[in-house]
Amino acid sequence: MYDYRVALLLVVGLYIFSPVIIDWWLAPNGAWYHPFAFWFLLIAVYIWVESKRGPDEF
Amino acid sequence: MSFSLIQLSFVVFGYLFFLFAAAYIVEQGWIPKRWVHHPAVYVLSLGVYASAWAFYGSVSMADQYGYGFLAYYMGISGAFILSPILLKPILHITRTYQLSSLADLFAFRYRSRLAGVMVTLFTLAVALPLLTLQIAAVAESMYLLNADLPTTTLAFGFCITMVIFAILFGARHVSPREKHEGLVFALAFESLFKLIAITILGITALFFVFDGSGDMESWLATNQEQLISRHTNLQEGPWRTLLLVFFAAAVVAPHMFHVTFTENINPKALRPASWGLPLFLLLMSLSVPPILWAGVYLELEVPPEFYALGIGMALESELLVIMAFAGGLAAASGVIIVTTLATAAMFLNHIVLPSYKPGPKQDFYQWLLWVRRFLIGAILLGAYVFYRLIGADLEITLLGILAFVAAMQFLPGVLGVLYWPTANRWGLITGLSIGIIVWLYTLLLPLSQLTLGWDYSIPLPATDMDNWHIAAMGSFAVNLGLFVIVSLTTTQKDSEKTAAEACSVDTMSRPSRKPLIASNSNDVIVSLSKPLGRYVAEREVHQALADLNLPSYEDRPYALRRLRTRLEANLSGLMGPTVAHDIITRNLPFQANAELSEDIYQIEQRIEGFHDRLSGLAGELDNLRRYHRQTLERLPIGVCSLSDDGEVLMWNTAMEELTAITPGDVTGSRLTAAAEPWGSMLNDFLLDNATHQHKKRIEQQGRPHWYNLHKSIIKASGGQPGGIVILVEDQTETQMLEEELMHSERLASIGRLAAGVAHEIGNPITGIDCLAQSMRYETDNPEILEMADQIQEQTKRVTRIVQSLMNFSHSGHQTTEHLPVNITTCIDEAIGLLRLSSQGRDIEYVNDCDSQWQVVGDSQRLVQVFINLLGNARDASPDFSTIRITGSVDPYQATVHVVDQGSGIPEDKLDHIFDPFFTTKEVGKGTGLGLALVYSIIEEHYGHISIESPVPAHILEDQQQDTSLPSNESVGTCVTLRLPKVQDKLLEDKSE
Repeated sequence: MYDYRVALLLVVGLYIFSPVIIDWWLAPNGAWYHPFAFWFLLIAVYIWVESKRGPDEF
Repeated sequence: MSFSLIQLSFVVFGYLFFLFAAAYIVEQGWIPKRWVHHPAVYVLSLGVYASAWAFYGSVSMADQYGYGFLAYYMGISGAFILSPILLKPILHITRTYQLSSLADLFAFRYRSRLAGVMVTLFTLAVALPLLTLQIAAVAESMYLLNADLPTTTLAFGFCITMVIFAILFGARHVSPREKHEGLVFALAFESLFKLIAITILGITALFFVFDGSGDMESWLATNQEQLISRHTNLQEGPWRTLLLVFFAAAVVAPHMFHVTFTENINPKALRPASWGLPLFLLLMSLSVPPILWAGVYLELEVPPEFYALGIGMALESELLVIMAFAGGLAAASGVIIVTTLATAAMFLNHIVLPSYKPGPKQDFYQWLLWVRRFLIGAILLGAYVFYRLIGADLEITLLGILAFVAAMQFLPGVLGVLYWPTANRWGLITGLSIGIIVWLYTLLLPLSQLTLGWDYSIPLPATDMDNWHIAAMGSFAVNLGLFVIVSLTTTQKDSEKTAAEACSVDTMSRPSRKPLIASNSNDVIVSLSKPLGRYVAEREVHQALADLNLPSYEDRPYALRRLRTRLEANLSGLMGPTVAHDIITRNLPFQANAELSEDIYQIEQRIEGFHDRLSGLAGELDNLRRYHRQTLERLPIGVCSLSDDGEVLMWNTAMEELTAITPGDVTGSRLTAAAEPWGSMLNDFLLDNATHQHKKRIEQQGRPHWYNLHKSIIKASGGQPGGIVILVEDQTETQMLEEELMHSERLASIGRLAAGVAHEIGNPITGIDCLAQSMRYETDNPEILEMADQIQEQTKRVTRIVQSLMNFSHSGHQTTEHLPVNITTCIDEAIGLLRLSSQGRDIEYVNDCDSQWQVVGDSQRLVQVFINLLGNARDASPDFSTIRITGSVDPYQATVHVVDQGSGIPEDKLDHIFDPFFTTKEVGKGTGLGLALVYSIIEEHYGHISIESPVPAHILEDQQQDTSLPSNESVGTCVTLRLPKVQDKLLEDKSE
């Protein structure tokens, strides 16, 4: 029941630090498609985490 | 390159007709439901988010902010990744309470008509810039391809076209609670189309404008300075603001709320959508940088937002240009249709219906349909007016920012719905009003003054494209702050508290068990006929009962409470929560003087629904609750728990097995409503002062059953409601065994006595018989011979009596079989044997029993029964009379009547007729053991025997229908046998 509070805290934290994360992510040194590749990697990790959850888990 | 107006119109109408055809074939059921309900369709339909902004505006944003344009995609992706804690609870609320818009959600949660009205009106502040953005994008792209007509005329033509198609897509159904499966499918198709279109454009830019990724990289390296000079570096402020704005859009933008929640067909599809939509948006955004850089490389003369069109024009590819145009059209038309439908539904539910409702005689559904069509037209024409006044001169990105920042003002209210049960309507209304005023003062007015040169003659802040985020965050912060402060300093209404509990993720509503004034579902229809008309009331009540899987007639208090809640939810889907709540509160009130107590059964059901969400201590407590629940459910003794007012709260599995009444049928009703004989028995026990009753006998399925009843009263204490627990123990087997034992004991003692007597008498009788025989040889004196004959005759008689005694004494030791037996055959066999006797040859035996009747028993023993009964009947009957055997069957037993026309049995002797050695026959003609033996055999068959004399009138009447018996026949005897009928299962077992 307390899971969502942790998640909300994490979201607020990510939001506050998002400019720093984005600066690092969008660093102009790499190829133009690097941000997209990293984004795709995040989605792939999320799908993997999702697949570990039970069908009715909150 | 230029296209004629006819060509462009052909593309517009052709695309929209194709889209409508896709929706139409889905609604006609020509596409399998499993395709339509597939999560991929839902995920793609959510792609409606990628509007003209994504197709045109993103290129402009990328030009202005570099990779900052990704905020548009990443904000909403974050919201979908958080769907388990953000979107899933809202989906649950909207589906449970049939809420079709954000205004419905707020009006329901904050129990405020004003909140619904305000959200509806402020949604216009979102919808108008958003619709204008789409109209402007399509009109300007058309103008780029054909400059014959001004953009305003093109925009007007496009608006009229969209009015027609929005009505076709969304206003052919009566109620918004009927999902528009066709619309969802069309939106999915549209998303796929625009994804393909923008991907082809990206590939063209990458491989036909540049020579692959390497070439583009080297061009980028050499033109870094030029590109940097084109855009301003995205600062922390705008980035955070854009991220928050687009994060909120997942819930608060009217088109996203409509597609995500209202049109959701399959709730489980939200899970794949949590990664599916981010993936779709990733693919959509991937082409944006190549399109931008190709446009810069080609030095296109069109504005950056139309580089997608410009590339095709520069490459002189008509196909590419038309595809880009159609892609933009697809992106714009989806948002226009959905936003218009959603806004029209809000206006209908929160502005029109609370002000005016048609009379009960008017066709309510048709009226709703026409009002909705009118609203769709009005909103789109309103968007055109906004376009003419402001939108035509504002940039696409600016229009988007205005719309999404206005939408962000709803975010505090949404968070309050889910996570803050003490938030109240005054906080919402205050925060929202001031937030919108700040948005108007710091964003809309300064930007329109700046861009359009309007003079408002009031001091306005100097908002421009560099500092708009300060105004946006300022309006949001003021809104949020006031929402919190006012909610903390004012109090909630009780109804608001209940609604807050129903919506909040962390709490659970505690439904009360107040009884309704309406006593059954027909009363509910009558009550609702006043505001809705008879036809609508009947349809809605039957729909609600069907939704709850309840029968078409209900009078259980629990079921009526659920019906009331469901009706409010369904009416909310039809006319909004405010009007629905008013109608239900006024027309289906609770009893005023009823005591308030909680509905434990419903609370438990809700806790069961939360099971997967409970963790830690709450989870452990829930596991303990489930364990105790299971213990009660699985007890081998029937447990029935009642509230203090006698409503059944629990009916365990053993109770279901004993009574053949399922928990679903009885839970929530009074005990008297339970099927007989249980209703009467349990209710009598409930009213009785005794806390225990032993061996209560009731007839079930034609057989006697015995039950021990116990009850315990739970006193209310510490806020916990009181109640009564009844335990029901099945004592039938014990009782049968006891009776059998007693009977066996009785028969055994009589048998032992009879055997002893027979043995003691047998020896002297044999001696007397031998002596009489000897006498016959010793004399020729006829008198003595006659005397010897008499002695022998008497000794034979004594021998017969002794034989009967021996038979009786041995009867208890025989084993009775329990097999299917044809009762008619047994009767015929007994009649055949009796006819062999010289006695009663003038008596007629008529067997009217059906040849198909089968009972469970031992055929030989049953033949013995009928020989005894028919023999007795024959002995009692006058010559030329009739002995009739009739009967009947019910699902559980066969009843046989043996009716004679004899002299009958005196009433005072009837009570002793089955006692051993009791006879009404003349001395020497009967032993008094025949009926005792019959009784014993019938008991062994778990049957029942009774004797009535004279024959009861109803049996005589039944027989006179078939025979010519004189009506004045009032004597005679009727022996009635009841034997267990063969059940189908037994027959099947036998056949196997």
